[in-house]
Amino acid sequence: MNRDRKRKRTTEAAALAVLLLGIAVGSHATILGLTGTSPNPTFAFIAKQGYISTPDGNTIYCWGYANAATGAFQLPGPTLIVNEGDTVTITLQNQISIPGPPAAPGPAVSMIFPGQQNVSASGGTAGVLTQEAPSDGTTTVTYTFVAAHPGTYTYFSGTRMELEVEMGLYGALIVRPAGFDPNVAANRRAYDDPSSQYDHEYLYLLSDLDPNLHPLVEQNKLNQYDNTTFFANNWLVTGRCFPDTMADPNVGYLPSQPYNTAPLTHPGEKVLLRFIGAGHDMHPLHHHGNNALMIAKDGRLLESVPGVSGPDLAVSDFTQTVAPGETIDAIWVWYGYHLGWDEYGHTLGGPGPFEPNEIYAQSTLASSIGVSDTAITVPAGTGHAFLPPPRTFRAIIWGSGYANPDLDPNREVVTATRSLTNPDTFTITRAQEGTAAEAWSVGSIIADTDHGLPLPVTMPSIQNLEFGQYASGSPFLGQSGPLPPLQGGFNPYNGYYFMFHSHNEKEIVNNNVFPGGMLTMMGVLPYGAPIP
Amino acid sequence: MNGMRKLGWTALLAALLLAAPAARADNLPGSRPPDPYRSRTEGIQIQCPGATDPKAVCVSIACGDGFVKMADGSDQYIFGFQDVAGIDPTVMWSYGRLGAEFPAPTLYAKEGQHLYLTLTNLGMIMRPDLFDPHTVHFHGFPNAASIFDGEPMASFGVTQNNSVTYFYDLQEPGTFMYHCHQEASEHMQMGMLGQLYILPAQDDLPDGTLLGTFTHHTGYKYVYDDGDGSTKYDVEVPLQMSSFDPHFHAADLGIQPPPFATMVDVYPMLNGRGYPNTCDPGGIMNNRNAYRSDIPNKVAQKIPALISCTQGQKVLLRISSLSTTEFNTLTAPGLPMLVVGTGAHLLRGPDKPDGTAGKNLYYLTQTITLGGGESTDVIVDTTNVPRGTYFLYTSNLNELSNDHEDYGGMMTEFVVN
Repeated sequence: MNRDRKRKRTTEAAALAVLLLGIAVGSHATILGLTGTSPNPTFAFIAKQGYISTPDGNTIYCWGYANAATGAFQLPGPTLIVNEGDTVTITLQNQISIPGPPAAPGPAVSMIFPGQQNVSASGGTAGVLTQEAPSDGTTTVTYTFVAAHPGTYTYFSGTRMELEVEMGLYGALIVRPAGFDPNVAANRRAYDDPSSQYDHEYLYLLSDLDPNLHPLVEQNKLNQYDNTTFFANNWLVTGRCFPDTMADPNVGYLPSQPYNTAPLTHPGEKVLLRFIGAGHDMHPLHHHGNNALMIAKDGRLLESVPGVSGPDLAVSDFTQTVAPGETIDAIWVWYGYHLGWDEYGHTLGGPGPFEPNEIYAQSTLASSIGVSDTAITVPAGTGHAFLPPPRTFRAIIWGSGYANPDLDPNREVVTATRSLTNPDTFTITRAQEGTAAEAWSVGSIIADTDHGLPLPVTMPSIQNLEFGQYASGSPFLGQSGPLPPLQGGFNPYNGYYFMFHSHNEKEIVNNNVFPGGMLTMMGVLPYGAPIP
Repeated sequence: MNGMRKLGWTALLAALLLAAPAARADNLPGSRPPDPYRSRTEGIQIQCPGATDPKAVCVSIACGDGFVKMADGSDQYIFGFQDVAGIDPTVMWSYGRLGAEFPAPTLYAKEGQHLYLTLTNLGMIMRPDLFDPHTVHFHGFPNAASIFDGEPMASFGVTQNNSVTYFYDLQEPGTFMYHCHQEASEHMQMGMLGQLYILPAQDDLPDGTLLGTFTHHTGYKYVYDDGDGSTKYDVEVPLQMSSFDPHFHAADLGIQPPPFATMVDVYPMLNGRGYPNTCDPGGIMNNRNAYRSDIPNKVAQKIPALISCTQGQKVLLRISSLSTTEFNTLTAPGLPMLVVGTGAHLLRGPDKPDGTAGKNLYYLTQTITLGGGESTDVIVDTTNVPRGTYFLYTSNLNELSNDHEDYGGMMTEFVVN
């Protein structure tokens, strides 16, 4: 039996139970969709027509794959989540009927599965690419394949694609690797390779539509439907345009657009971004905050020796080029590494708490030093984690009996430079920032950190600034500050928000209204803030 | 109470009206009579720590509107940035009004430095009805904090007659960009785009340092901290792709709503110029005096795209795109293009767990395809390239035009002497 985790509508008690379960397992955001029952998941789809709404106030006639269990038209089609090795069966019927006037039966539709081999199709009528379901509402076409490789894939209609994909007949297919377990960190992976482990995953199914073409289909003016005049004016992420992308899943005011893309994470946690190009155009999807490492393309890890080397061909970039029909898996992490100031606004020796992501590199003293020594050594093979020469860096030395430097009243701030020839030897300038030089014994801790560094600039008065809705009013993670009336308010945990958006900037509008379109906001929340 | 307030506003308005003609009388710093409105400088604070931060490098830029000239001779109204280093806040407005440049001034800094970037919003001379804030988004800055990301939805924009100082601890070298992120679809189409390069610390290694089997010498320049000298170059060339839709610019000048839905760019450019202006080694004078008779013309396009080298030199092309509408492909027949970086990162696979370097993924190509917000680093080794003039141009051939004028657009010359 199909289980649509996204659209599940049971009692409030059941919803609460799911919520509590989510917190109990450590709140790792996952992509919503239909999972079926491994190893033989079976899904029943019906191609339907319906309307989506866009934030510019438009209502657009579309076609989509509906889950037969609920019967509700939706865009995109249900996200299918299956396991490596599963034999996947999908049945398809077609109820599309063009309203007109005059009313007319819809065209035949079908499903193709790029990246899957040996897809068998039966029933219906033979089309150019696969078996097709005519719009009689009863004929059933059955597609079966073995999901042989883990990864991010797509499915879409293989019939009159220039029309039917534009109209919305597309969706995402995710194949979990063997041994996948969302509740065991080591087994929460995109691929078999352990380097594809992640903490949260989000789906960016990117599409574009021309709102002038859809009414021609709706009004049965297919003879005027000219694909060569395609000119997109709405851009969607998993079926919604900003700001709807940031609304909850399954909100009542978007009855046919169930999926949101409202990513959240904590510092240092790995976010798996699954990008799919499902429109006509390439989109440069830029993620603020940090580069991401593209580890896979089209459902295959970027590795020189498949199954052996791991993603040694992975590329770091601040923008992912997502082409139509292409899929990309990228891992994005925000550490707050080396901001040059304490992102928590803490002072050295203050109450803290000292957070895990404040340490950029850490080791211990391999031999003791006196108050006037200007060189230290760290255990062999640990020095390379620190910045290479000729860079200098600020470091704190504290006693090994203390969990963090705030707790050791004798902590010492130094400026350090690694040796050119031996990465485990540093020269240091002692007693910085008002601390005193101390004698440190073997095993004392040295860490590269910005902990306790003040913000180096003075922020202007809030009267000189205009704040956005995700502003907290404070430079510091987890802290808020004063905001003018009606500004801010969308950031209850005072996180750092980063725009993930198409950098062909005309695509972050809804028709003529800015902002909108292919845009989401990634929230890096302070530790402890819940992630649903 | 209400009456008193009304009277106060009337008096202020009268003062503004009286003062306004005087304020327009000249465009020279320091010689402007006091203006109770425009000399309000308490919001402008240029923060530069000086000796207290030996790693500090300070930049002061201002933003507002201006004009540039396209290669077919047409004027385009723009929003943009300009360098106001050393300009006192009390004269900054009269110095910088209608002075926007395209592209924005290129910013250089070094890995390890602390960049204090002050942005002052001078407002819009041609659009006094617009009270748009502005920002600087340091595009690609690793591990950004929202407060200095310049993305106003998550932080703030700077309102007119005010400034903010952004702070960046520069950890990674590379080919970055900067642009205004306020109402980005409009402000970027209008020209608030620039280049931002961070030079690697490897440049400053002591003479004779061994990088594997490669010996570093003082004066050597690299694109990244490659550890093996493989990104050493001799000549650096900035190449930023961008494009304008003149109807959009005309609407902004004509006090019309920005026509996002019909945006189609017909002026494809490199460094804010279409061919043949790309090959003009000097600056290009604008025509702002035609729009504001009290403000003389200005060189507002200062970055040529002409590439010139001596045979045998390695030429670094820092290519980025801040097009707001489309992908473009650049090609250069006859020139071997070695891609060594992308996304302000060395093109190298991830480090191995023991800290040793990953796999070099450099590749030779004839085409570079970039969408908005993408950058790549290309080294052209001219050792085996015969002397002569080569063309570097977009192979999206319809973009080889300046609006209706053919034989222009996104093209420049690459001269090997």
